[in-house]
Amino acid sequence: MEDKYSSNVLSGGKLGMVEVPNSRLTRYIVLLVVTKILKALGIFESYDILKVVHIVQFIFILKLGSAVILLFFQKPFSSGKVISKRQWIKLLKHAVFSCVISLLGFFGLTLCGPLRTLLLFEHSDVVVIALLGVLFTSSGGGPSKTRGAALFIIAVICLLLFDNDDLMAKMAEHPEGHHDSALTHFLYTAIAFLGVADHKGGVVLLVVSLCLKVGFHTASRKLSVEIGGAKRLYALDNLVSSMVLLPWVIVLSATTESKVESWSSLVLPFGMIVFSVMILEFYVDAICSAKMETPRCARYGAIALFLSALLLANFWTHPLTDQLRSMSKPPQQVSTEHVLSGGVIVSAVFFIMSSSILSSPSKKGQQGTLVGYSPEGTPLYNFMGDALQHTSQSLPRFIKDSLKQILEEYDSRQIFYFLCLNLAFTFVELFYGVWTNSLGLISDGFHMLFDCSALVLGLFAALMTRWKATRIFSYGYGRVEILSGFINGLFLMVIAFFVFVESVTRLLDPPNINTDMLTPVSVGGLLVNLVGICAFSHAHSHGGKSCSSSHGHSHGGHGHGHGGHGHGGHGHSHGSGGGGMNANMRGVYLHVLADTLGSVGVIISTILIRQFGWLIADPICSLFIATLIFLSVIPLLKDACEVLLLRTPPENEKDLNSALEKIEKIEGVLSYRDPHFWRHSANMIAGTIHLQIMSDVVEQRIIQQVTAILKDAGVNNLSVQVEKEAYFQHMSGLSTGFQEVLAMTQQMETMKYLKDGTCIM
Amino acid sequence: MLYTDSPLVLIIFILCLILQGTIHPFRKTHRSVFGKLLQEFRLVSSDRRSWRILLFGALNLLCTGCLLMWCSSTNSMALTAYTYLTIFDLFSLITCLISSWVSMKKPSQVFSFGFDRLEVLAVFASTVLIQLGALFILKERCVCRPSVCLCSGRLLVGTFVALFFNLVTLMSVRNKPFAYVSEAASSSWLQEHVADLSRSLCGIIPGLSSVLLPRMNPFVLINMAGALSLCTTYMLIEINNYNAVDTASAVAIALMTFGTMYPMSVYSGKVLLQTTPSHIIGQLDKLLREVSTLDGVLEVRNEHFWTVGFGSLAGSAHVRIRRDANEQLVLAHVTNRLLPLVSTLTVQIFKDDWTRPLLTGTLSPSSVPPMGPADGYTLSSSSLPPLLMSSGGELDPLTSTPSKPTSPPPEFAFDTPGRNVQPMVLPAPGHHAHRPYGSLGLAYGASPYTGMLNQGLPRPGGGLGLGVQGLGAGYGLGVPSSQSYRTAYGGAPAPLRFGTSNPLASQSQYRQYRP
Repeated sequence: MEDKYSSNVLSGGKLGMVEVPNSRLTRYIVLLVVTKILKALGIFESYDILKVVHIVQFIFILKLGSAVILLFFQKPFSSGKVISKRQWIKLLKHAVFSCVISLLGFFGLTLCGPLRTLLLFEHSDVVVIALLGVLFTSSGGGPSKTRGAALFIIAVICLLLFDNDDLMAKMAEHPEGHHDSALTHFLYTAIAFLGVADHKGGVVLLVVSLCLKVGFHTASRKLSVEIGGAKRLYALDNLVSSMVLLPWVIVLSATTESKVESWSSLVLPFGMIVFSVMILEFYVDAICSAKMETPRCARYGAIALFLSALLLANFWTHPLTDQLRSMSKPPQQVSTEHVLSGGVIVSAVFFIMSSSILSSPSKKGQQGTLVGYSPEGTPLYNFMGDALQHTSQSLPRFIKDSLKQILEEYDSRQIFYFLCLNLAFTFVELFYGVWTNSLGLISDGFHMLFDCSALVLGLFAALMTRWKATRIFSYGYGRVEILSGFINGLFLMVIAFFVFVESVTRLLDPPNINTDMLTPVSVGGLLVNLVGICAFSHAHSHGGKSCSSSHGHSHGGHGHGHGGHGHGGHGHSHGSGGGGMNANMRGVYLHVLADTLGSVGVIISTILIRQFGWLIADPICSLFIATLIFLSVIPLLKDACEVLLLRTPPENEKDLNSALEKIEKIEGVLSYRDPHFWRHSANMIAGTIHLQIMSDVVEQRIIQQVTAILKDAGVNNLSVQVEKEAYFQHMSGLSTGFQEVLAMTQQMETMKYLKDGTCIM
Repeated sequence: MLYTDSPLVLIIFILCLILQGTIHPFRKTHRSVFGKLLQEFRLVSSDRRSWRILLFGALNLLCTGCLLMWCSSTNSMALTAYTYLTIFDLFSLITCLISSWVSMKKPSQVFSFGFDRLEVLAVFASTVLIQLGALFILKERCVCRPSVCLCSGRLLVGTFVALFFNLVTLMSVRNKPFAYVSEAASSSWLQEHVADLSRSLCGIIPGLSSVLLPRMNPFVLINMAGALSLCTTYMLIEINNYNAVDTASAVAIALMTFGTMYPMSVYSGKVLLQTTPSHIIGQLDKLLREVSTLDGVLEVRNEHFWTVGFGSLAGSAHVRIRRDANEQLVLAHVTNRLLPLVSTLTVQIFKDDWTRPLLTGTLSPSSVPPMGPADGYTLSSSSLPPLLMSSGGELDPLTSTPSKPTSPPPEFAFDTPGRNVQPMVLPAPGHHAHRPYGSLGLAYGASPYTGMLNQGLPRPGGGLGLGVQGLGAGYGLGVPSSQSYRTAYGGAPAPLRFGTSNPLASQSQYRQYRP
């Protein structure tokens, strides 16, 4: 418990501040909070300004203004080393990227409004990197990070779905109305193409540009070292990007007439934005991340920013504030635009929580692998392996490899082709259903998709079967097939059960069925499934022939339908013989069979309903089908159960018994004990046996003979333990303790020798 | 009407197929299966303890029926998902019955390992079934969203009835298999998150640590979490009439069910797949390393270790030994090492080229070396001159410890009587000869032996049969004095060492012998 506590202090998000006393950092925290509030103000202000100023001009002014100030402070040209030509080129690229990102960000601002932009776009890099780490790597850093990521995603979804921000007025006004430039026009059409409302498009845009921003920051780290410090880079970057934007701005101002009445009234707000958004935030961030650790900085910053954004959003459009900011013209429709809604508040709360969770420091390297135990008995872990294991494979190569593996063998190839066929049919159905807006088709498509999961399971099992044996799976993966067959059997049982329940409820209350679309769909499904049946039944008999002839024989009986009564007797041997063959394929086959039955049932009931108007035909049909599925699954389940329970394989039982008799007759063998024989997988029967032999017989010869005999009986993975009298004496000498020895000697003294020998045996 | 013909033919075809394939055998075995079931059921119900399980099972059926009715009346998907947990309780009760049946059953000839695995299979099947149920719920949510008109009155009642019932069942029926699996399986994501949350909560309120820090029972956890989400659903529906919450909470409950059951089905599935349990591997490796350092052992291969039921390990291994090593001795040592961990063990000893006569230290000219307990020892010291003894003094060194080639030869020199005066050269007289090594065991003490010594040294152990001759003879060999064996083991390891060059390791091997 102590241990847990100490680790808790280190890892728990709430207790992170234990490391450095807060009092020493209060100044910086206050500074950070004030800066963030100012930044929120600046963003709100710039949203208002963006209504009148074109976005490119706006960004140009921002960049230029900050460049002037930064040039004054940083003096990038007079201090530091000389920048080479190559670095200038890199700087140019960097500037272009930063322009693109700020364009996207501010465009998102115009779409979503300041509050949502702040919530989405202003996450620190730490948070986003932690989020991406959780989403895309296996070792995300414990459950708390997972929770944080889930909260983040829920918050974004909240903004997307539950935020009733869509302004009908704006939506109506929007189409191709006020697009000032090609750029905004392009973005608008892109968003309109996605088919979402403006602000939702803005949310998507902002999330994308957030990721871009983080990637950009990470990528620019190297450049900043090359240039000589982040501040110098920032100053130069602002300068160069304003240069980059200059021609565009000139063209813009030449071609379009400005909506701005007087630039002079905008000087003050611009100055404020430049100061708060571009300059102050940059410096304070730099200071704070130098003084405090970055995660903490991010946490406080995010909380301050989001809270102030919420407050500002509440009061910005308030009449009181309107009076306060006399310099900006109060737009008329502002009061109805991007208001606070429940969804936004919920998502803001979630964002705050998630950013505080995600930015809390995580214990690195939690997933050590157990190496062994120290002499004192404490476990030893290896933390290095994690880094080495992550040799990522490129996706196309992975797909190519697995495809090659799939196509290598008959079973998996069959399943794969059929899966493709099935999926194609499903997607055609789904697509057509969406096209014609038919709910029945869509739901049937989903059903098919659901059924495909069994196929996928079978395919995966067929692939896994061929994996090499490992430490854990010491016999190899052959048994996976049987387990997958068992799971598929259970799956079918569940399906049968649900169909049964459904049909019983429908029997009591037959609903009206719209039979228009049913027939073509079910005929299509039937055709697809018939192909499957042909393919798999071929595999079925194929596997059977290679395994046991009795199976192939009885299957031939199936094909001809009326194989005579003699096959009734074969039924049982068929079932158990099938256990020897691929249970996985049987499961898949039964699945396809069940689907076929379903389509047939639908066709019959459709005909009956159309012809005679028997509504009750449908539930009766499905009742019948459920029973059939149920009955057909039972043999599969029984066989799989027997194999899983390590039963002596029934088809080899006779051979094994005679083999055991033969073994007893081998010269020198006294007796045998613990004969275990079981089927491990389709082509492996394992066995262990203990033999007692006379002391003057060579063990190895006996082992050879026994192995040969049992191999004839079908056991191909055998361990024989050959014991002589000496073994028992060694054993009792080795293993017993004092008390047991006393007891044993007392016991033995009362016994005759021979009796004792048999007793031990 | 185009298709009417072909489908009918098809139907007939398929029906024939199915009738042929499945119904016949089923009908044939039907009665006997039923009768057998009834018989086994009587067997189980003869036990008093299973009455309680049966009682709870009946209650569970009643409760599930009620809940299903309420589900259809409220039309709430979330409650249906929660009801599946009750059905899972039913499964777990059945598992419980099965486990009590298993405990009564002895291994039969066909089920040679006993029926322990049936427990595992039952656990696996019930967890998989419940996951499939959850999958169905998810699918139904995806496929068809019926307009939910919730008359949510029954929702809360149903929740609490189900919660109460589940908890009572969990508390009052001791469910051995599920308790084992839930402890042995890795924790589900639900458990992990709760543990993480409660850990940080304990950082604030340390007093809660005894309640929150131990690992939560996953079943209690999922029941609680499901009830909580249902209550939230109820509240939101009552207050806001926000019916979409029902779907969300159904999905959440289904996901939680999935998360809770998945580790358990993985664990039991791994048992069914005959895999080596990963928590054993470290221990097993240590033992196998020890085994491979035994004298005469060249390598251990084809080692298969797996669990039969929950807990009991079975395994087999092939041990390749030197051509001149004593098979029975090595077998005994290997078995002795592994037996504490692996209860059902089969060790196959094999030698390469065993048909070829040994080149060194040949005992007899025949291609097959005579197999007696003494052979191994004499053969193993290949550097020594053949130590074939006169039949009376046929030697067997100290308890089955193979001698090292490096060990000093004089200790094996039997015929030097001066050295053998003090050691107990046990004559193995008739009525004592049946004492196996154990009786001379470690802590056996000197007194019985001194008695034996007095009895008759020169008597050969001829008439013992089965190669016991002179077994006792060599007992005292390695021990220079007549002190007890215990001290001999601990104190004079040098002559007793196995083929290891590491004395520490060999000592640690002996450590376990000491009582």
